[in-house]
Amino acid sequence: MDTRGLLLDTATRIFSDHCDKALLDAAETGEFPERLFGLIRENGFHGLAMTASEVPLIESFLVLKVAGRFALPLPLAEILLGNRWLDRDDRLIAIGIGDATGARNVPWGRLADSVVAVRESGEVALLGDFTVTEGTNLAGEPRDRVVADSVESLELSDDAFSEMALSRVMLMAGALERVLELSLQYVGEREQFGRPISRFQAIQHHMAVMAAEVAAAVRAADAAAQAIEGDRFFLEVAAAKSRVGESVSVVAELAHQVHGAMGFTHEHQLHHFTRRLWAWRDEFGTELYWQTALGSHVAGLGADALWEFIATRG
Amino acid sequence: MQQFDSIQLPESAEQLRGEVREFLTSQAARLSPPNSDFTTGHDPEFSRLLGGRGWIGMTWPRAYGGAERSFFERYVVTEELLAAGAPVSAHWIADRQSGPLLLRFGSEAQRSRYLPGITRGECFFSIGMSEPNTGSDLASVRTTATKEVEGWRINGTKLWSTDAHRNHFLIALVRTEPASDNRHAGLSQIIVDLREDGAKVRPIRNMAGGQDFNEILFDEVLVPEDRIIGEPGNGWQQVTSELAYERSGPERFLSAFRVLVEFVRAVGPDAEPRAAAVVGRAVAHLLALRRMSISVAGMLEQGKSPDVEAALVKALGNDFEKLLPEMVRLATLEDFTNNDRWSDFREVYSDTLLLSPSFTLRGGTREILRGVIARGLGLR
Repeated sequence: MDTRGLLLDTATRIFSDHCDKALLDAAETGEFPERLFGLIRENGFHGLAMTASEVPLIESFLVLKVAGRFALPLPLAEILLGNRWLDRDDRLIAIGIGDATGARNVPWGRLADSVVAVRESGEVALLGDFTVTEGTNLAGEPRDRVVADSVESLELSDDAFSEMALSRVMLMAGALERVLELSLQYVGEREQFGRPISRFQAIQHHMAVMAAEVAAAVRAADAAAQAIEGDRFFLEVAAAKSRVGESVSVVAELAHQVHGAMGFTHEHQLHHFTRRLWAWRDEFGTELYWQTALGSHVAGLGADALWEFIATRG
Repeated sequence: MQQFDSIQLPESAEQLRGEVREFLTSQAARLSPPNSDFTTGHDPEFSRLLGGRGWIGMTWPRAYGGAERSFFERYVVTEELLAAGAPVSAHWIADRQSGPLLLRFGSEAQRSRYLPGITRGECFFSIGMSEPNTGSDLASVRTTATKEVEGWRINGTKLWSTDAHRNHFLIALVRTEPASDNRHAGLSQIIVDLREDGAKVRPIRNMAGGQDFNEILFDEVLVPEDRIIGEPGNGWQQVTSELAYERSGPERFLSAFRVLVEFVRAVGPDAEPRAAAVVGRAVAHLLALRRMSISVAGMLEQGKSPDVEAALVKALGNDFEKLLPEMVRLATLEDFTNNDRWSDFREVYSDTLLLSPSFTLRGGTREILRGVIARGLGLR
């Protein structure tokens, strides 16, 4: 197995062994999954995106896709990118959206050793002497408000806001694949009118639509990850966040439809994925935000340059 | 689950792209039809020019006039032609599926006879699958071909055969054995010479005002014995093997492309946010669809038969082609129906909208494609 295969295999094994319903439920009550966090450190994921690791940055984003598959209840994107930007292996780094007083939507800000604030403009700052007000997103993931007394501006060569948006793209791609798998399994097992509901054409069409949307989302996500070293990274992230976000709207809705009332219960695991999808599509720019950015750029190139822009090599 | 691998087009394909663009620039007078639909422009002279450049039958062996180039190179040529609105209809079916079918199942004599003419852009094919009572349920065809001493005697009616009134040959799916419990048995593919064999071709006007598709009547039409493609009775396997070629190409998501081009032109470089967002949304769709289509070209290049992946690209692509005119019309507050600045947009928008019902019908309806995908998911 090649290096990438080994890395993703390890991530898959650790996440699948530990991210069960009980752990996800516990995390939603505010319990930090310490043991899993320890395993992630022990297995070297903590510093994977750091320059010193000499691992190409794309690998970190592929690991995030795996994290999405299992709804990993840890701020892995923030740990990976935070350590990279600060170039130090902090215990727990949190990254939120920068505002006048500090940062909003900070995952696990309450436990963070360091908090980084990223603005749409690309400005990045390390917050100091901060106080935290706890909050959650609609998936029950900790998203805290951090008010800081001091701010240290960071000079990064990375496009920080786009990288954060890409992290949500990869998480969504993984979660979308999982939602499709869960749905396929459910429609094969659930019987009504004396047969599995997968035998009904109406259900088959729902599943076909979901499969197509998931395939498009995954392809879009992979393309954006591949573009990370390229000069149109920002634009590829824009395209991916838009396309994947659109898939989320379709796939989450249909997944719940085919799961019936079972999928609407707290006891079923489906909502851990669909609620995260609904939350992540809004984080670091909605579809509309990125569509406007991408469309403004393309319109600026002019009608006769449109095809040239689309006919990219990679 | 279907995998669409990330593929970077080879350098050779990008080099070819430059040559195609140069050629298209030199042919500017033949371009600019009101839309980018692959059925719109039937221009034998243009097809001959393309053949002269080696851009028809590009992946086929040199022995039959091909260029032995990769599916990626073919992909680049086809997408450049469509994006520019080039009149590709005459050779399209022959290049896309009739030729590959003959290469795979045809006799040596058939390959030698038809393929070189196709690659020169002089020999055009149509498809004869549907019938008055056979649409999506293709195995229900009733047109018969009966073996006689002098050849095969064909009786029945074919329908929706695009360009049959101006192309040279038709590959018809016919029943060569009576229907049995095995619905897929007893079908064969047979080549009909549309100008010599005596089949009656009647053009049918479509709702967009075009006259592309046809009804073909076979009344005791006799064709020589050597027109059967492959083994008699193997028609179903052969027909389904064409589908990956038929369903995955850029013509499945670029039919409405010119609408976007003219929309961008009309809103200008400083588009207001509402318009910009729609452009961005459409571009995001196009980038993903194109990459998926290139992934399928990669599978074809590896000799795979990606039927399910092709169905998936076509299903997504056709829905996008229909969505695009709907998206852009609501992205401006200006009255584009009565405004000089929007006149080019209005023309391509109207034309594409009128053609759009066909997008999710031709080459396998949306419903059939969803069935193929569901089968690929193991649900049926």
